[in-house]
Amino acid sequence: MTAATAVPSPAPLTVVDDPIEQGRYTRWVTGAAGEKLGESSLQLSGMVCAACAGIIERAIGAVEGVRSVQVSAAAQRATVCWDPERTRPSALIEAVRGAGYEAVPDAAAPARALRRREHRQALWRLFVASFCAMQVMMMATPSYVAGPGELAPDLWQLLAWGSWLLSLPVLAFSAGPYFSGAWRALRQRRISMEVPVALGLVITFIASTGATFDPGGIFGDEVYFDSLTMFVSFLLAARYLELLARHRAAQALECALARLPETAWRVAADGSTQAVSVHRLRPGDQVRVPVGQAFPADGVLQGGTTRADESLLSGESQAVAKADGAALVAGSVNLGTPVLMRVQRVGADTRFEAIVSMMRSAMSQRPAAARLADRWAAPFLWVVLLLAAGGAAVWSVIDPSRAVWVAVAVLIVTCPCALSLAAPAALTAAARGLARRGVMVQRLDAIEALAKAQHFFFDKTGTLTEDRLQLSAVSLTPAGQGVFADAKAATARAAGLAAWSTHPLSRALADAGEAAASAPAWSAIEEVAGHGLSARDEGGRTWRLGAAAWVDATAMAGNAAQVWLGCDGLALAAFECEEALRPGTAEALQVLRAEGVQVTVLTGDTPQRALALAARIGVDDVLAGATPEAKLAAVTAAQAAGRRVAMIGDGINDAPVLARADVSLAMGQGALVSRSQADAVIASNQLGDLVRARHTAQQALRIVRQNFVWAGSYNALCIPLALVGWLPPWAAGLGMALSSLVVVFNALRAAR
Amino acid sequence: MDSLYLLIPLSVGLVLAILAVFGWALHGGQFEDLESEAERILTEDDRALDADQASDPGAREQSHV
Repeated sequence: MTAATAVPSPAPLTVVDDPIEQGRYTRWVTGAAGEKLGESSLQLSGMVCAACAGIIERAIGAVEGVRSVQVSAAAQRATVCWDPERTRPSALIEAVRGAGYEAVPDAAAPARALRRREHRQALWRLFVASFCAMQVMMMATPSYVAGPGELAPDLWQLLAWGSWLLSLPVLAFSAGPYFSGAWRALRQRRISMEVPVALGLVITFIASTGATFDPGGIFGDEVYFDSLTMFVSFLLAARYLELLARHRAAQALECALARLPETAWRVAADGSTQAVSVHRLRPGDQVRVPVGQAFPADGVLQGGTTRADESLLSGESQAVAKADGAALVAGSVNLGTPVLMRVQRVGADTRFEAIVSMMRSAMSQRPAAARLADRWAAPFLWVVLLLAAGGAAVWSVIDPSRAVWVAVAVLIVTCPCALSLAAPAALTAAARGLARRGVMVQRLDAIEALAKAQHFFFDKTGTLTEDRLQLSAVSLTPAGQGVFADAKAATARAAGLAAWSTHPLSRALADAGEAAASAPAWSAIEEVAGHGLSARDEGGRTWRLGAAAWVDATAMAGNAAQVWLGCDGLALAAFECEEALRPGTAEALQVLRAEGVQVTVLTGDTPQRALALAARIGVDDVLAGATPEAKLAAVTAAQAAGRRVAMIGDGINDAPVLARADVSLAMGQGALVSRSQADAVIASNQLGDLVRARHTAQQALRIVRQNFVWAGSYNALCIPLALVGWLPPWAAGLGMALSSLVVVFNALRAAR
Repeated sequence: MDSLYLLIPLSVGLVLAILAVFGWALHGGQFEDLESEAERILTEDDRALDADQASDPGAREQSHV
């Protein structure tokens, strides 16, 4: 392979027409006349107002063969029904691009449909529960406000029947998930929080039903339908809010990931190159990999040498030299020259598969806060059962007619409403508050861990800094001063040339330069890996951009972060680049340190660059040149010293550390694997949000503790009263309702 | 007070009826996309009518005006 091979770029849209790719975002439906129609979903971007939706609709609608199109401005999504006989999905995307917007296939439609079903079901359960609870409360009010003898017994009976009827759907339908959850737990011979909840619900309902249809019988004559239904609606409301937070996080992730299909350049037998979906690759295929693109599969290098960014394996951005026949890893990025590779393994290990499996696990995962409560669910249940049995045994000696009633009273007052709401309500409220600030919490446990973390580890590249460089200084050589009027002109010239390369330094230059009016038309543009670019202007002069030795053979080797511009072998200007610091980083770290948190920067970068950056942000604890293993060891050591560790990272190489830390946060721009591994994603990419998230988490934890104290003391007070038979039933019902209300309203403060 | 013997059962019936209406609306997807319905009046497309109304040619004519 010679250095500069013509690389077809960017990827042609035709790959979206590949049947394998089409299947990812298209549903096949049958039209009115029995013909086959495709219903594709596209993710749009660039929309600024509702009117844009109309423009896009008209643009797609004008495509020959489009049956119908719907654009949702709120969701930034288009659903297009098209005739496969007359058009192709790529034509739809062309049409959107022609209208001045960007569109990519939306492969997440099935996940969204699943979410919509889940959301509908949750809302329906919640509405049934809360609406019936309202009505039951209304029917319960007379017995609370009426004086003795004011409420006629038959009227009381009628109200009780009405309440019973309205409680039925709440118990049978709305509370269904709790009963099935309790049943699942019991079948697996363990006790989850759902078991005492389900037991409390059933006992309360049975006792109240007994009182309704046989007043004065063994269950006494008090009904608790109002507290029962209110409790269920509170539980469901907490669950519903948690579901909304989870869906919002998943949606944000999907929007960030929607993209064109991953394309590989397969070399056919006749030597021609063809763009195909990576899913079409088979072992033995020969693939051309342009510079800056990821290797589409595992394989070996065929001819030529290159450098690969294997941060997946080894760590930060240190490119690994690859000789002929070297093994290449899927997902590592080709930095050197365009090369040929022979595919050996194709995996389900693509980014898309990663998101699918992550979504699945997120869906099956129960709210983690409930797991926390599960730990004391079993002791709680046994204590309550023992107390109830003991109370019944003692009373069967004193007064057998009251024995059952006492046992039931104990079970009713200990129905763990407030206890089971204490943590989830506060944590869900906090997650909502955090989401509003741009921090998507994926695991509710993370809030507790974040509040308690004492040692924060930060990755450098991509976390403290943006994953791009910025131009920091320009210097003109004596020869350059004769050619360019000022540094700006030199930058503009260099930017024009740099725009032809995807090298990080080139991109920094291209971003920095303003488009010059007299930009020369470059010809014979060539990129030589490890050296730089060369091109000819209209005057036939050869310009070079890159390493010092490449630009000017007589120059001494310069700094790696330096780019030189030269003309006909004469160096004209040098450009210094430095890492662009994320806005607000220094301030955020300062606040954290002021609050007594230890801050460490972990980086795979060279010590001098790491120290230079540390000086800029005022951090003295830096571990430079760290491999993922070294990073992991540093975090493990901190944990062994008894500290709770938070890790904030973005790269693939941070993933093991993110998994190891007590709480992990990933940057919204980070690699997928680190985002899916992290407990929370900082969607705004601003570290200031981390500080605010920590404060919110601490506030939420205080509220959880208050809630536990309140719910615990309520139970501790009521159980003895119920045991000695002194607890009037109306007080038990009111106490249950009030304790839940206090817990919920207290929890809402966490959302602020 | 006698009216209560009628009103209480009535209220139970009413609650169940309201539940049914809400369930129909929810499962019909009326709560899914609240924003674009509000913005629909700003767009000039001709999908302003429901499918069953669109069969009326007069109404369709008007929506174009």
